[in-house]
Amino acid sequence: MSDPTLQAADEAAGPARRAPLRFRSSEGMATRIVVAVVLSLLCAAALVALSGHSPLAAFGAMIVGAVGSPHQIGVALNRTTPYLLAGSGVAMCFRAGIINIGAEGQIAMGGVGAAAVALAWPSGASELTVVASLLGGAAAGAIWAALATAIHLGRRVHEVLATLLLNFVALLLVQQALAGPLGQFGAGFLQSPEFPKAAWLWRIPDFGAHVGFVIAILAAIGLSVLLWRTPFGFSLRVAGSSRPAAAYAGFSLPAITWGVMLLSGALAGLAGGIEVLGVHHRLIEGFSLGFGFKAVTVALLGALEPLAVAPAALFVGLLEAGSLSMQRQIGVPSALVVVIEGVTMLFILAATVRRA
Amino acid sequence: MIDFLAAAIRIATPLLFAALGGILSERAGVFAVGLEGMMLMGAFAAVVGAWASDSALIGILLALLGGAAIGLVVALVAVRHRADNMVTGLTANILALGLTSYLLRVLAGGGRPIAIHLSPLAAWRVPVLADLPVIGPLLFVQPPLTYVAALGCVALHLFLRRTQAGLTLRATGENPEAVFASGVEPMRVRLLAVVACGAIAGLGGAVLSLQQVGTFTDGMTGGRGYLALASLIVARWNPLAAAAACLVFGAAEAFELRLQGFGVPVSSYIVQMVPYLIALAVLAGLGRSTKLPAAIGQPLQRDR
Repeated sequence: MSDPTLQAADEAAGPARRAPLRFRSSEGMATRIVVAVVLSLLCAAALVALSGHSPLAAFGAMIVGAVGSPHQIGVALNRTTPYLLAGSGVAMCFRAGIINIGAEGQIAMGGVGAAAVALAWPSGASELTVVASLLGGAAAGAIWAALATAIHLGRRVHEVLATLLLNFVALLLVQQALAGPLGQFGAGFLQSPEFPKAAWLWRIPDFGAHVGFVIAILAAIGLSVLLWRTPFGFSLRVAGSSRPAAAYAGFSLPAITWGVMLLSGALAGLAGGIEVLGVHHRLIEGFSLGFGFKAVTVALLGALEPLAVAPAALFVGLLEAGSLSMQRQIGVPSALVVVIEGVTMLFILAATVRRA
Repeated sequence: MIDFLAAAIRIATPLLFAALGGILSERAGVFAVGLEGMMLMGAFAAVVGAWASDSALIGILLALLGGAAIGLVVALVAVRHRADNMVTGLTANILALGLTSYLLRVLAGGGRPIAIHLSPLAAWRVPVLADLPVIGPLLFVQPPLTYVAALGCVALHLFLRRTQAGLTLRATGENPEAVFASGVEPMRVRLLAVVACGAIAGLGGAVLSLQQVGTFTDGMTGGRGYLALASLIVARWNPLAAAAACLVFGAAEAFELRLQGFGVPVSSYIVQMVPYLIALAVLAGLGRSTKLPAAIGQPLQRDR
């Protein structure tokens, strides 16, 4: 680091010395993850026993609730969608060594953007309405990420703080939008009017799912191709491994940061848009609560490969879809799944992921 | 005016506890993103402890333990197993949110959360001082944990500046190799610092639940742990400056309550953004002069 060029380049790269998130070794990864899941399910079983119910009955009800019928599977896939979309975007940031924890706010803004377009669309709506609304969501998410990036790069504020603080501003902006321009007057609580039918995301017939899941899978595949097969993906991987090396190779670190932040912001915004257009058909206060933070933990598994986010997101989606029927049928509080999610990710963090 | 300042102090107290804990953790070199979960667990343990034992003191002790438990989780995963600090902290927050919501319902024996209503901790009048004009009612008629926060702030300042242990802790955040060379195991320092951070932040949670409302609701910390994180960075890891930053945030929120009271036509949501915007503006204003502890977030070698 004595070379002044390198030092200047590193300075330009950002405030803190950084190292990418890495797995200790990719060998035995699958085994470790399976062990982590099993251990956390054992913890969950102990908690269920504490509540005086049978763990087997609770898990059984959860499985039936998640995959018991085509409709239930559809619900689980809908639940998976925001985690997969936002999580694979965040994973790209991780890959570039940028800790973006702003998905929570970007998803919320995506919901606002999509709702604004859907409600403002002139009557005589067509298929274009949905597409335009989704684009509105993606744009809003990207704008929110751009704001964080500008503060981070322009003023050297650590990206964790810039993205984190903007999350809270975004959540309040959703409430403000619902109390003002987008709100339904006299609804009793904060929500927008129902969107016109043309703005509803298409549902897959005879199946509870909307097409959001397909979009999410395509996006994850696209990101994988982007990461492994394009010059941008290469520059991103180099920057993630070593910032000085990336600067020395002539890659512009601010450009990489902008690119990957806008990309993940747009994906998170799209996730928010899909949630309001596909599930609620209106903007509701707190529609995205916790999605973004969980997407960040889900994205950990994608520190290696964007497609690896898919099974993690599916795990979370299935758990959450199954949790309600577990609560209804057995009486075990559905908050149990949040514990399972937290414990699983902590075990995986402890067992595999390192800062190199 | 005195009411307004008193409200600012009241709102600042839980933030200050969390910020003090966070300063310990970050000065030792571990990002304190888990403050939110530590506070939440402390808030939960305080109310359940006080409710079950009928003693506020037991509640406060349990808040220390509850916060420390989340601190221990963060310490084991992020320090011992060298995982990324930020993501570990976020995940610990998710765990605390799930665990408190779950246990609250299990305690009720059904799907509905148990309803606990305790009377909030009463204010203690400090003899003589409470009779001073203006500052008497403002500073010396406060609930007990507020005094603890003020004393803790000064104590932490002296600990960091004036004691050997404080020097070792700061050195662990700047140059762990030097600490190792001096014969102290830096990993042990970090583990202890993060667990202590949890206990102190847990007290902050107890302020929210036990001292202010007397009940626990799901996710009742509502982002205050993150705000405390911002305030300790704005304060550049200095306990006294952190107190000032927390008071500014407290004043902003007290001002918001006031505005609503007077029916001023400003949206409360916009006003609620003010603390976060202040934090962003100050951080942006500090710009590159914000100097993180040099070794923060860097994992320690094991098996040397």
